[in-house]
Amino acid sequence: MKKKLISLLLCGTMIAALSACGSTESAAPTETETVEETTTATDDAAAETATEELPEVTITLGMYPEDTLVDDIAVFDGYIATYQELHPNVTCVPAYYKYSTDTFMPMVESGNCPTIFESWFTEPTKLIAQGAIADITDELEARGWLDAMNPSIKDLLSDSNGRVYGVPRDGYALGLMCNVELFEAAGLVDADGYPTLPKTWDEVAEMGKTIKEATGSAGLVLLAQDNAGGWHFSNIAWAFGATELCKDNGDGTFTSNLASDEAIAAMEFVKSLKWDYDILTADPLSENWGTGFTQLGTGNAAMYIGANDAVAQPTQVNGLPVDKLAMTAIPAGPGGQYSLYGGTPYFFSKDATPDEINAALDFLEVMGKAPVATESSVAGMRAGAEANVANGVPVIQGFPCWVNQDYLDAQASVVSEFSNVDTKLFQSYFDATASKGLHLEEPGSTQDMYAELTKVLQAVLTDSNADVAALMKQANDNYQTILDSTFGAE
Amino acid sequence: MKAANKPKEKFRKRDLISWLVMLPSLVLFAFFVWEPLIENIRLSFYSTKMYETVAFTGLKNYYLVLHDVDFLAAFKNTFSYTLWSLVIGFFVPMIIGVLITETVHLKGFFRMAVYFPNIMPSLATIWIWSYFFLPGATGVLNIIAGKLGMGPYEWLNDPKWTIPLIIITLTWKSAGSTALIYMANIASISPDLYEAATIDGAGIMQRVRHITVPSIFGIAKTMLILQIISVFQILYEPMIFKNGGPNNASISLMMLMYRYGYRDYNVGKAASLSVLVCIILVILSGIYMRATREKEN
Repeated sequence: MKKKLISLLLCGTMIAALSACGSTESAAPTETETVEETTTATDDAAAETATEELPEVTITLGMYPEDTLVDDIAVFDGYIATYQELHPNVTCVPAYYKYSTDTFMPMVESGNCPTIFESWFTEPTKLIAQGAIADITDELEARGWLDAMNPSIKDLLSDSNGRVYGVPRDGYALGLMCNVELFEAAGLVDADGYPTLPKTWDEVAEMGKTIKEATGSAGLVLLAQDNAGGWHFSNIAWAFGATELCKDNGDGTFTSNLASDEAIAAMEFVKSLKWDYDILTADPLSENWGTGFTQLGTGNAAMYIGANDAVAQPTQVNGLPVDKLAMTAIPAGPGGQYSLYGGTPYFFSKDATPDEINAALDFLEVMGKAPVATESSVAGMRAGAEANVANGVPVIQGFPCWVNQDYLDAQASVVSEFSNVDTKLFQSYFDATASKGLHLEEPGSTQDMYAELTKVLQAVLTDSNADVAALMKQANDNYQTILDSTFGAE
Repeated sequence: MKAANKPKEKFRKRDLISWLVMLPSLVLFAFFVWEPLIENIRLSFYSTKMYETVAFTGLKNYYLVLHDVDFLAAFKNTFSYTLWSLVIGFFVPMIIGVLITETVHLKGFFRMAVYFPNIMPSLATIWIWSYFFLPGATGVLNIIAGKLGMGPYEWLNDPKWTIPLIIITLTWKSAGSTALIYMANIASISPDLYEAATIDGAGIMQRVRHITVPSIFGIAKTMLILQIISVFQILYEPMIFKNGGPNNASISLMMLMYRYGYRDYNVGKAASLSVLVCIILVILSGIYMRATREKEN
């Protein structure tokens, strides 16, 4: 009897569970639900006419700050609140994503790509070829943003047919970041107490040596762990006269030019930084973009190649006081002075609908990252600058990725209002980068070129007898093979 | 005629039940092992866009892989990893297993101690070792060497030593678990044999040589081929230690495959390299099985 009862109970439970699974409607509503439904129905009826034209849209925001940046999250939540007041039909879902080549494709394939996310300027060709990002030309054209975009940046974000796939967040020019505390400790200051920042690569070597002898800290962080090593090295090569590491033949093919006398001289100089001057950190082969800022911010190294859009890294992230960071131009060499000029683009999910793309572009306006100087856009710029002041991040001028004057004026006005640094510590950087020394990244398969250069860097930094000319010749041959297989032989 | 059919029918009935028992596993294998394997081989003959095939390209992906500027270095290094792992890593767990079995006191502690590195997260292990191998005055090993009036050494930055040192860390981490397998095997040897040998006056070396080693020979053969297959697919250790450097001194075939798939988004090329690795492993296993079978015969 007992067994039968248990069996009946189990059967009953199973039937109940199954019917619950199959049912799409709940049972009779409770009293509270009924009241809520009535109220909502009335509200909805009133709002219906107002929002009739606006479709319900959900956008996921990949540029949402990472968990640890609590203050930045607060600022960003402010953007979302402002945005949703202006666009009540849009739901914003934070979805922090830091672009990395390792994670991007699986994320896209699994349908989890955020509607909008940040990436790098070396990526568009690859991402466009793979169909991994959305064509946003029509949306930008309708807003009149295409004409406002810096033409050279627009080229980088376009395919061969002129279709545009991204918008720039901001521009940057590489410079030399300096830890003022270490310069002061080594006595490298002028009569007014300002640090005497190096203007040439030879001065970097000499000053680095002085700093290392006086403080024990490394003079310079040189990267050799990944492609960032080649990225930084290209600036040194240009300064030594190798201004064209990859020649664009104009017919869709490219010629590698890594083994020129100038490029070899630049690599010889890098080698001397390790074996003659001995001013580098303990293991350049373990240094990447992030660790470089850690070395600089924590006082383990005095100089590091960095850009104006990364000033939060040594200060906010690694604790360097805001008044102890100085920036100067990338040092000059025998071939002149050049600074790599690039930027951070926003891309859009390939699955995003035009409504979602437009909603995401509207969000950029609220963040102050769009080429408009509306009230909400300026408020976004001010909120960002205010947060930087609170977090001890230098508020300095950006590089123009948009060229419309009203936007540039608004940006300049916000920077001047919230400026929290002695501009003399950044003057030489801005003077140089305002001149003709700006150099876009090399054409061709740039990341592969960086990879080949990084291999040479690794060899010369670990072997005092390394044959630089032979290594550069090998890198040149390898890169040409890659170019030929990617773009076709010359 | 009837008599001949009867056992066959009986066999079928038994077979059906067995197949039913195996069915869930077969379905899982089909979905998660065989289908991806076959799909991988198919992908290797196509150009791809994301994970979708675009056009049949025959052996082009294989041609591109074999002519890749990093292929030769990765190919040589992968064999070097395997060779060094046999030199350094094959006998260590066997020796540990024998020593702990012969230990009288604190056997449990030693068993736990050798297994301990195995339960540490792999990334943590690599980072700890990175501090040991740091060149310059701040590396742990260089500090110790300095106290002894030696060094400083370049450790992983010296291309001649990168692979052997990575194999040492790999052995440090995984020898304990293999040693446990040997210990379990040794424990199954009849104690009578040891007692008899001891009574006959055999010392520890003779007992190991004449009883232990012949008894674990079978399992050692299996462990050897498993080790070759495992080390041949080494990926994250060289990737995290030195990102395949210095100057490709530690790049492996799996790292190259990873780069094709996840850095270059070229799934077809990655698939073709994985098929090549599979073929190499099948050949190596075949040669090994043949060699050991001939020896057994």
